[in-house]
Amino acid sequence: MRRSVFLVLVSIVPCLAAGTILAQDAPRLRGPDPFTREIPAPPMQRQVTDDVRVRRNYPDQPPVIPHSIEGYAMDLNANKCMSCHARKFTEQSQAPMISVTHYQDRAGNTLGGLSPRRYVCVSCHVPQTTAKPLVENSFTDMDAMTEPERQPERRTR
Amino acid sequence: MNHECHISSLVVHGRPDQMPSIVEGIGAIAGAEICGGAETGKLIVTLETDTEDQVVERINAIQLLDGVLAATLVFHHFEPVQDRE
Amino acid sequence: MDLTRRTVLKAQAAAAAAAAANVTLPASAQNILTGEDLQLQWSKAPCRFCGTGCGVMVGVKDGKVVATHGDMQAEVNRGLNCVKGYFLSKIMYGSDRLTQPLLRMKNGQFAKDGEFQPVSWDQAFDEMARQFKQVLKEKGPEAVGMFGSGQWTIWEGYAASKLMRAGFRTNNLDPNARHCMASAAVTFIRAFGMDEPMGCYDDFENADAFVLWGSNMAEMHPILWTRVTDRRLSHPHVRIMTLSTYEHRTTDLSDMALIFKPNSDLAIMNYIANYIIQTGAVNREFVEKHCNFRMANTDIGYGLRPDHVLEQRAQHANDAQISSPASFEDYAKLMSQYTVEKASELSGIPKERLEALAKLYADPKVKVMSLWTMGFNQHVRGVWANHMVYNLHLLTGKIAEPGNSPFSLTGQPSACGTAREVGTFSHRLPADMQVNNPEHRKHAEEIWRLPHGLLPEKVGYHAVQQDRMLKDGKLNAYWIMCNNNLQTAPNTNNETYPGYRNPANFVVVSDAYPTVTAMAADLILPAAMWVEKEGAYGNAERRTHFWHQLVNAPGEARSDLWQLVEFSKRFTTDEVWPAAILDANPGYKGKSLYDILFANGEVNKFPLSEIDSAYENREAKAFGFYVQKGLFEEYATFGRGHGHDLAPFEMYHQVRGLRWPVVDGKETLWRYREGLDPYVEKGSGLQFYGNPDKKANIMGAPYEPPAESPDAEYDLWLVTGRVLEHWHSGSMTLRVPELYKAFPGAVVFMHPDDAAKRNLRRGQEVRVVSRRGEIHSRIETRGRNSVPPGLIFVPFFDASQLINKVTLDATDPISKQTDFKKCAVKVVSAATADAGDVP
Repeated sequence: MRRSVFLVLVSIVPCLAAGTILAQDAPRLRGPDPFTREIPAPPMQRQVTDDVRVRRNYPDQPPVIPHSIEGYAMDLNANKCMSCHARKFTEQSQAPMISVTHYQDRAGNTLGGLSPRRYVCVSCHVPQTTAKPLVENSFTDMDAMTEPERQPERRTR
Repeated sequence: MNHECHISSLVVHGRPDQMPSIVEGIGAIAGAEICGGAETGKLIVTLETDTEDQVVERINAIQLLDGVLAATLVFHHFEPVQDRE
Repeated sequence: MDLTRRTVLKAQAAAAAAAAANVTLPASAQNILTGEDLQLQWSKAPCRFCGTGCGVMVGVKDGKVVATHGDMQAEVNRGLNCVKGYFLSKIMYGSDRLTQPLLRMKNGQFAKDGEFQPVSWDQAFDEMARQFKQVLKEKGPEAVGMFGSGQWTIWEGYAASKLMRAGFRTNNLDPNARHCMASAAVTFIRAFGMDEPMGCYDDFENADAFVLWGSNMAEMHPILWTRVTDRRLSHPHVRIMTLSTYEHRTTDLSDMALIFKPNSDLAIMNYIANYIIQTGAVNREFVEKHCNFRMANTDIGYGLRPDHVLEQRAQHANDAQISSPASFEDYAKLMSQYTVEKASELSGIPKERLEALAKLYADPKVKVMSLWTMGFNQHVRGVWANHMVYNLHLLTGKIAEPGNSPFSLTGQPSACGTAREVGTFSHRLPADMQVNNPEHRKHAEEIWRLPHGLLPEKVGYHAVQQDRMLKDGKLNAYWIMCNNNLQTAPNTNNETYPGYRNPANFVVVSDAYPTVTAMAADLILPAAMWVEKEGAYGNAERRTHFWHQLVNAPGEARSDLWQLVEFSKRFTTDEVWPAAILDANPGYKGKSLYDILFANGEVNKFPLSEIDSAYENREAKAFGFYVQKGLFEEYATFGRGHGHDLAPFEMYHQVRGLRWPVVDGKETLWRYREGLDPYVEKGSGLQFYGNPDKKANIMGAPYEPPAESPDAEYDLWLVTGRVLEHWHSGSMTLRVPELYKAFPGAVVFMHPDDAAKRNLRRGQEVRVVSRRGEIHSRIETRGRNSVPPGLIFVPFFDASQLINKVTLDATDPISKQTDFKKCAVKVVSAATADAGDVP
């Protein structure tokens, strides 16, 4: 079943003559038509700040950040993220604790706390906005392949 | 009631001559399962625990076994789980 | 968690660990209880994105990539990725993937003003061959050209170089790496006689001080940044000093941020050299033994069109690259002008900070790693800037040893491995050889089994020049592969776009997705991406690394390699080589270019049986031989024994990359140092063997102003660049929902005071206007970048905000690399003018 879904998605040849499937978002990906035309700037998108954990696409994916990080310190003296996500604060904050993988140093030794190589959280964890994706992405996660009937609705905002 | 389920995997490097005792030692650790690799000196071990603390504690326990050179965490995933009864 | 899911996850966990440890698990460890065989196949690959070159493990199930994770065994990243790397599994699955060739047609025929219609590969190549043959016949080899990529695999770049130079006999082949690394590559040759860094990433774990020159590593080389922060946070004596024209995530995490006025980096470095000289910190012994002094020609112009007044006025616009031998005293005299007062005045940095920086370089006990990328390379004096930082390391002898490392960071994943090492530039041959050197051409002709005198000697058109020649109608048949130049070239409204749509030109674009560039083409060819083909890249630390084909490309999409090799079948030597050469070498008559270039006994000598049976290889199957191995081994002949040694092909499929020169199976971490580099003669200690006298060149050059600075009307500096979440022009990352949603559109980062002065508020729509063009965007006064008053920053990933309509096509006159970091703009509210067509 999933294979035919995949094939259907793949066989939608982008019909680049008039009346394209992607017409309203085409300039965001393919530029204005004609190229020299000036188009209005897209609106700024709102940040997602509902604190709801978003399901990961596969186990190793760093979870996205469902809250605002505006103004959060990330310097040599302070790492604001850790004030809620460090293990010792998670009972008060109810924030998910950092994964145990974050305790390992480059050589693979498990340290007692956050490894310095993991200090810059925002290299891997990013917040989201309410922007609607410009195109469909036909990525299939491995659970959908093994138990397609049991997939929860993927939340779209 | 909400619990968590933590699934991790490790590569355990051990001295080849002490493999049998290492295998036995890991077998005694709750939630640990050896999937293979004994002949190469690099054991592939999965670990199933209820909390993150247990993951750290059990990795440490493995590292302390006689003959173990290193236990490296490769994969760690956890989810909240509801009791389904 | 139910049993099935738990078992699936455990199988996944076990497979990940097994792959990391290179252990084969018994099949029983991977079956799940329902009896379905969860064979998730994990294979290694380099990341598709930046020049850091992280290793990833790619999980494939049922012909699709379903997961990736950082490769624990890869030295570069040891299991870490950045957010882009973590979403690699989605980049091939945007639903608007190109799957068929598309040709502009009217009434069943090609028509430049026609609409795109799907055609077969045969029809596509028929028309393309017709056009190229016509241009070659009527106007000759100088009228055909190709714009390639630092994201091409090594064998793709090599095949392209053969096709263009030996096939069509033109050197009009330039890569998009011209926009990214040309200044760095040219300076390596000027200073050391050989390209690419002498150090490697191991320097991160050995340095006492990191000096970042205009490089925002936290966003642009995040995994290397983790090695910097790891070192800094684990060793309190370590210092991070970052110089930049605005504050960003990297300056936030630095011990000292030095915010300087654009272009004044030149004066700062000369001041530091002056400080080193004046305080007696010159390592006299080192300098005498290992360095020559030279003075560069000055007043060299800005690479603009020759009739531009700035070019007319410049004294040495036509011999910008020339330098003359000099003495230490000559050099010291020039440097003596750069007092701390002058540097402070030009840059706006307080004197104490400049002195603190200079002290780091001068102190012999401090191992300094200097890091830079586009701040120096995309600079009208980029070659001078690169050279000035080498001057500092050479004066103090802080070079070619662990921790002491002037390290030129690379932008693209294979700007080194493909563009520079294979030589896909308009002046280059493989292994640092040059087209205008008769000895080098002869050597290439021998390896390529070509008649003597065939290879063209005239240096071809470089990137910016290609756009100008397209516009002027001098370049008429043009193939663009694996880049989005209409979005990323400078001054696109006035040069690039008219060039692509010039009715006299036939433009072909090979890409995986319909980009801005593809939309302006005459023929679009659908390309395979990343793990849809067997590939090899070379990263910033000279590490060559390979991957196998893991999944199939969709529809009719084919790799750039297949396209180049297949296209060569359409031409015969009689059609494209000069009669004189064929008469003198009649054995070459009547052969197809495919026979000469690819079925030449070398490239086709490895049979299909040598392919690892666990993996598909569409190109090899199409041609009937292991084409990637054949191309690689022929290419490696150029470098082996000449300091560019590559290991045997198979070795790269086994390991996580090797740093060249690889001699006797052993990679080289630090070049030029005895004991670490096999090419250094015993007893010599250190040799810069790329130069005939085995010495490095210290180059004296002054501060010179940029091409265009803010004035009364255009009163702001425009700096362009990237953001963490998006790679270059966003053609891949904008199609990944999580990356798109993280940073959906470009914005104008502006200082709150500048906004207030112009009655602009955060989020307001504005026009960013220069003398060349304008775009609409929105103001951002908060967020990750804090720009100073008088400067704005706009990223270039957004196809609906084509900031390169605004930028200036001024280049470094020596490297021909565009300066994307300095031009003058004004920002006004969008409500003040019609948002309509710009004439």
